[in-house]
Amino acid sequence: MCEIWFAIVCFMLTVFALLDGWNIGAGIVHHAVGRDDAQRRLIIAALGPYWSWHEVWLIGFGGVLFAAFPIALAVALSGFYLAVMMLLWALILRGMALEISGHLTDPMWRSFWDGVFTFGSVLLALLIGIGLGNVVRGVPLATSGGTFWMPLFTDFSPRGHVGLLDWFTVLTGVFTVAALGAHGAAYIALKTTGAVHARAAQVARRMWLLTACLLVAVSIATSVLRPSLFAHMLTNPVGWFGLAVILSGGVTLVRGLLVVREQATFIGGCALIAGLFICGGAGTYPEMLHSTIDSTASLTAPQASINASLGIALVWWSVSLIFVVAYFIYIMRTYAGKVHAADEHG
Amino acid sequence: MDDPAFWHRLQFAFTICYHYLFPQLTMGLAPLLVLWKWRAWRHNDMRYATAVRFWAVIFGLNFTVGVVTGIPMEFQFGTNWAGFSRYAGGIIGQTLAMEGMIAFFLESAFVGLLVWGEKRLTQRAHFFAVVGVAVGSWLSGYFILVTNAFMQHPVGYAVGANGDLVLADVWAYLLNPWALVLYLHNMTAALVTGAFVVAAVGAFYALRGVHREQARLYLHWGTAVGLLAALAVAYPTGDLQAKMVAAHQPAALAAMEGRFQSGPMAQITLIGQPNVAEKRIDNAIEVPGALSFLATGSFHGEVRGLDAFPQTQWPTNIELLYYAFHIMVGLGTSFIVLMAIANLQRWRGRLLTCRPLLWALMLALPFPYIATTAGWITTELGRQPWLVYGLFRTSQGVSTVVSPGNALFSLMGFTGLYFLLGVLYLFLVGRELLIGPRENYSGAGTLLSGTPDNEVPHV
Repeated sequence: MCEIWFAIVCFMLTVFALLDGWNIGAGIVHHAVGRDDAQRRLIIAALGPYWSWHEVWLIGFGGVLFAAFPIALAVALSGFYLAVMMLLWALILRGMALEISGHLTDPMWRSFWDGVFTFGSVLLALLIGIGLGNVVRGVPLATSGGTFWMPLFTDFSPRGHVGLLDWFTVLTGVFTVAALGAHGAAYIALKTTGAVHARAAQVARRMWLLTACLLVAVSIATSVLRPSLFAHMLTNPVGWFGLAVILSGGVTLVRGLLVVREQATFIGGCALIAGLFICGGAGTYPEMLHSTIDSTASLTAPQASINASLGIALVWWSVSLIFVVAYFIYIMRTYAGKVHAADEHG
Repeated sequence: MDDPAFWHRLQFAFTICYHYLFPQLTMGLAPLLVLWKWRAWRHNDMRYATAVRFWAVIFGLNFTVGVVTGIPMEFQFGTNWAGFSRYAGGIIGQTLAMEGMIAFFLESAFVGLLVWGEKRLTQRAHFFAVVGVAVGSWLSGYFILVTNAFMQHPVGYAVGANGDLVLADVWAYLLNPWALVLYLHNMTAALVTGAFVVAAVGAFYALRGVHREQARLYLHWGTAVGLLAALAVAYPTGDLQAKMVAAHQPAALAAMEGRFQSGPMAQITLIGQPNVAEKRIDNAIEVPGALSFLATGSFHGEVRGLDAFPQTQWPTNIELLYYAFHIMVGLGTSFIVLMAIANLQRWRGRLLTCRPLLWALMLALPFPYIATTAGWITTELGRQPWLVYGLFRTSQGVSTVVSPGNALFSLMGFTGLYFLLGVLYLFLVGRELLIGPRENYSGAGTLLSGTPDNEVPHV
């Protein structure tokens, strides 16, 4: 049961990263792609009026994590207190910027909120990346079943009594900014035409190249820091599946970029990101929070769940997922195709 | 402030009160939008199509602020209330996850189509988008209230091996009688908010002499629904809620009423200031025997006061609890009076010409928000000192690793950010109100998010 719920939690997080990821990514490259106000309006129009639906995946992820692993939620969120607060503030700022840009006509304030949108998106991607980096690196759990409190930074070393920020988590943060930026640029290219389309495709190429370099760096850093993760991943068939997804995604992505097929670029990028989550999940399971101090103090999935409640939850979760997939298909069909300047909405 | 949980409690209270300002309007407006869209579609009535188009934009703004202020609510269970999440997460996590998976995905999937879908969808599909939003928002409310009802009156649980709660009976939990009563009371209160806001906007246009046809429509629906909902909030739902509190949280009821001593001929205090140290109400204006009559059916019935309970079980903030309850009841009563007068004038055909009444309806706009906030303060303070009533104290629920200094830091951050958010919300909604309903809508392309620069608000 714990395996299933661990997979579900990872699934929710992955879908959030993919769907809201392209909104965040579009924010990251908002100014790089949209050089004037009209072009930036087109980018916002490309995100559509359903960006909040994507953000709801974060609420869904939080809810499922709470239902399945309440102890992991309690230990992790209170331990990452300040980082979570900053994440929430960045989400609010970015939501405000997106909503308001559809309602304002004043060019000065529109450019201000475009700036807030970019700032909030970069901050959000950075914090998500740092958070994921913390999960991979581990947190200073001293005793089994205990809690932790982490300062924002200590000596920037990813071992022992760590802080939120060290060279490893900053690296994963930067990697996430690059990857989501590339993903967002690929999405803009998919949804637009003309000058915005051309520049988005160009930015996507550069960002994916940067992402590939950073991915190599993150992989090497991870294998140095936690060699057992890779070994563990390779003993798990899910890990091999994740590698296959990354590989096929990477090949599709490269082919898409070389022959300029925006669909292939976008889908390849999605597969690459999803594959990274699958590999990460396969590598860490059953650990949910690894301890940097004493590996026997790590919080595992069975310790973090309250098993008696999980069977019934699986029933309603599966049923509701069918509906969610139906909404997804309906929205994608309703808003299929390229956007034009007249389709603007907030 | 000596309480280590003080800043955590204040942060949760502030963020939840602020958050709930927005969903209460979306939940209150949603049924009206369904009815109006139905009339626009089935009767091809352009007045209703215009009304839906106008209120959908207000709805969309509320929804967005509701989403961005709602995410912190869910996460604060983990960040600030880790002890509680460990203890009861196996139960309340279920309904919070259901809210996301079942209700919120539905509502948010269709809200974009509600606001922007009119030109993309058929009338029929647009109607079902409105229904989807309405069902989603009302389901969302149910799951949240089940979660709260468990904290007020825990049912369907068992105590697990390590002392934490596990879900023993999912149906008992989902159909908690407290939740059913709370849901009826809360949703009728949301309807009051929706109806008052619609009526207030109608009164605003009527007083200015603009958008006359729409103003008449909003006043008509706002006062009709407003009266029914204001009555239903008091009776039967408010009455049921009070009986629920009397049965399961008698100490809370005594504190709400400011009743320190037990005895027969219990009075209802209309106005007065609780003096907890002296255990009396200062400057009280009372109706003798009324509380006995309401609680027992006889003016001489015995009603327990706070002295019947050990002080460790008294609510921790009796003064605020007393005021919140009295503000809620006082405002609720005046809503009935105002809406009764408005309906009388509507029946006489003088609703649009009676300017003092229009002023009253317009200026009434903030008061349903104050009443719902006071109602929730009553509910949550009445639950103290318990986090899960009778099982788990509030002081046990807080995140022990998060120091009060860190909680104050984040509270200040929320205060600043929410102030900015509130200013922007008022600015954007005010702007939409000034632009007003777009009556001559040609059907395609005119409903842009930004108004064209040459369109000056024409009020």
